[in-house]
Amino acid sequence: MTSTAILFLIAGLGLITWVFARARAGRFIQSGAASVHSLPSYHGWYAAMWAVVPAILFLLVWSSVAPALGSFAVLESPLAADLPADPFARAAILSEARELSRNADLKVFNDAAVQLAPLYADADRRYMLIGALAAFLLCFAGGAYAFTRIRPDFRARTQVERTVMLALLLASLIAILATLGIVASLIFETIRFFQLVSPFEFLFGLNWNPSDKVVDGQATGFGAVPLFWGTVFIGAIIAMIVAIPLGLMSAVYLTQYASANVRKWMKPILEILAGVPTVVYGYFAALTVAPALRNFAVMIGISDASSESALAAGLVMGVMIIPFVSSMADDSIAAVPGSMRDGSLAMGATKSETIKQVLIPAALPGVVGGVLLAVSRAIGETMIVVMAAGLAANLTANPFASVTTVTTQIVQLLTGDTDFNSPMTLAAFALGLTLFIVTLLLNIVALQIVKRYREAYD
Amino acid sequence: MTETVSMPANLPAPASGARKTDWMGQTMQKRIASRYAAERRFKFMGLAAVVLSSLFLAFLLFVMVGNGAKGFITTEATLTVDMPAATGSISAEQLTGPRLSATIASIDVRRIYDNAVQAQYGKDGSRFFASTAWTALRAQLTENPDLILGKAKFWLPTSSDIDRAAKDTSTPEAEADYAQLRQAGEVRQTLNWNFLTGSDGTDPAQVGIWGSLKGSLITMVVTLFLAFPVGVLAAVYLEEYAAKNRLTDLIEVSINNLAAVPSIIFGLLGLAVFLQFFAMPRSAAIVGGLTLALMTMPVIVIASRNAIKAVPPSIREAAMGVGASPIQVVFHHVLPLAIPGIMTGTIIGMARALGETAPLLMIGMRAFTTTPPDGFTDPATVLPVQIFLWSDEVNRGFVEKTSAAIIVLLVFLLTMNAVAVYLRNRFETRW
Repeated sequence: MTSTAILFLIAGLGLITWVFARARAGRFIQSGAASVHSLPSYHGWYAAMWAVVPAILFLLVWSSVAPALGSFAVLESPLAADLPADPFARAAILSEARELSRNADLKVFNDAAVQLAPLYADADRRYMLIGALAAFLLCFAGGAYAFTRIRPDFRARTQVERTVMLALLLASLIAILATLGIVASLIFETIRFFQLVSPFEFLFGLNWNPSDKVVDGQATGFGAVPLFWGTVFIGAIIAMIVAIPLGLMSAVYLTQYASANVRKWMKPILEILAGVPTVVYGYFAALTVAPALRNFAVMIGISDASSESALAAGLVMGVMIIPFVSSMADDSIAAVPGSMRDGSLAMGATKSETIKQVLIPAALPGVVGGVLLAVSRAIGETMIVVMAAGLAANLTANPFASVTTVTTQIVQLLTGDTDFNSPMTLAAFALGLTLFIVTLLLNIVALQIVKRYREAYD
Repeated sequence: MTETVSMPANLPAPASGARKTDWMGQTMQKRIASRYAAERRFKFMGLAAVVLSSLFLAFLLFVMVGNGAKGFITTEATLTVDMPAATGSISAEQLTGPRLSATIASIDVRRIYDNAVQAQYGKDGSRFFASTAWTALRAQLTENPDLILGKAKFWLPTSSDIDRAAKDTSTPEAEADYAQLRQAGEVRQTLNWNFLTGSDGTDPAQVGIWGSLKGSLITMVVTLFLAFPVGVLAAVYLEEYAAKNRLTDLIEVSINNLAAVPSIIFGLLGLAVFLQFFAMPRSAAIVGGLTLALMTMPVIVIASRNAIKAVPPSIREAAMGVGASPIQVVFHHVLPLAIPGIMTGTIIGMARALGETAPLLMIGMRAFTTTPPDGFTDPATVLPVQIFLWSDEVNRGFVEKTSAAIIVLLVFLLTMNAVAVYLRNRFETRW
């Protein structure tokens, strides 16, 4: 029996409980009881809740406990007696045996795992059965309890609404949980990384050449400055040189010059640019833009141009960001009070003079905030740089050379079957934490600027 | 009423010291002309920016369609097989009813195929056909068992080299082979159904996207079922019930923050929490769905809040006035009116999740599977990751397949966005 089947069964039982409880409550009204507090369907919901919620909660808890119980059962068996005493090696074999019991065609590294796999399959099946039985018992018990409480004066609606409120609160708490999860997982792994590499070397070292080698408890080759430079070079310099003029001018043209018809058609077309998946941009950059730029560079006499140039990735990323800059600029220009524009036009300034000398200066804080948001978007962008920028950690300002970025290296460090405790895996989390902090700061600053600017005109 | 300044009927001439501007003079006319020229230049620059941006989009689509259109076409060559001679004698009765499948299973299609290829195309004739061509032969026999009784001509997929020779350029040998086939009239190009129904493989002529598309669909189901209820409920809570206190502020900050976190960070979260801590299976659609759900939820919350906010207070007050409880007000009156806006936001969020690659790479959803996944825990890959994997292949034959897969992905995304826009225009009420 699979867990999906168990869930469906419980849902079915809940439905049955709902129907019966509702019918029972309906009879009160038919029999003309003096004061029925809640509508019959609320009694139904109340009973169904008692039938389903405890059982599901139990299953959730059980599914996190059962694997550990399974491991205990396997370790108790005589076959497990000759496992290595080292907890790490033992855990590796156990987890491999578990994977093997789930997926028989897996490649095995430890032969001991092959013997343990059937034990695991056995134990997992046994605990699954126990869990399912207990869940069904809970389901019946809950349903029966609720059923006995159905009376004409029972306040089922109040009870149901209290539970709904709880569900609403829990749903909003998930956002906090997710944020905590991100911060905790990043910080936890980063601290482990900093036990191998000093934070100073990581943040200011110039040599990025990661390896799994650990000498005297220290790993070398984790100086991340070339990555930071590559990220800034592609995401904050080249991409913005493309995106700011194009995005800003598009916004100006569409809001100030274009007729309503043109605006109606061009705005969605620009929005499509933002909706194209980044993997498509990456493929486009690698397939079309990068070779063309390389040929161009060779033509103008730069012989060492790389086919994975920073320029290709930056250009395409800039195009991706255009609609983002454009819509932020659009919003901030629209927020400038009409009286300022009218005043300037009344003084005899032409439209372009009004835009250049009144509207854009007035909208500047909003535009700057939008650009900062765009930068945070660009430096966190992954697929374009993974596919079009290189892996060589160069510290160069030559746009035709290959540079690498933080996100590229995270992908590079985590793909491939490396051990979870190796310095390379941990380094990916340290890079992730750096990226998280920087984008967070950029966002906070940008939103603050935009907010203060809005207040200035309100 | 402010004090009105009464103007004399005829304005006095400017004080004698002030210079009178000669608007019609040459210098002023020149200056005005240059200002108008600047105006025209500026307007042209704006137009150029818009045109350039849309040209880039057009160019991108043009390149993808130009490369990818060929991916939907395949090349086939004929193979004449004398079935009775190869199988001994299979009688017509053996092909009726329940005995059919046993009969077909008893035929060694692989050997028959090898022999037929050698007979028709010479000793190394197998270079003409795809390595999986014999399975295509078996499929045709299963579909049309009468062919087993006689000598028949089968159209079978050619090898990747010949396929590319037919479409553009290939190795000289393959070009020569193709010319030979064409002269004999034994080759044709047809629609590549296998591309839409097959799965990943090593031979670019034989790969398909159904495996990864199904992986995407399963992942999206998980994402939708988690992100939609949680997102809408959270939005209802924050917009309708939350008290102004520290907890509410914390929730708001978290949601806005999650909406701005780079997607790759969600991949790291999935790796550390779901794979490491909860020991969930690697490469499984359920982990991908969970990760994407965390990413999509803030989008849904923000869209739902805006939709709920747009419902006018009079609705709430009217409902409250006839005795609805606070929960009934929201669930019976406010939410139904906000549903179009919520749906639009959800579809846009789901479209973004469908095109997302980086977080899924982190949690290992790059499984090489030649069969589509059948459940939430099977090793799977998704369409964008498949595109990424194919783009990395050295074999030139994958270029058209990658572009074709991109076309399919873009069609899905554009359809979703179009539906979202339609829903918004059709059902949104302006109060």
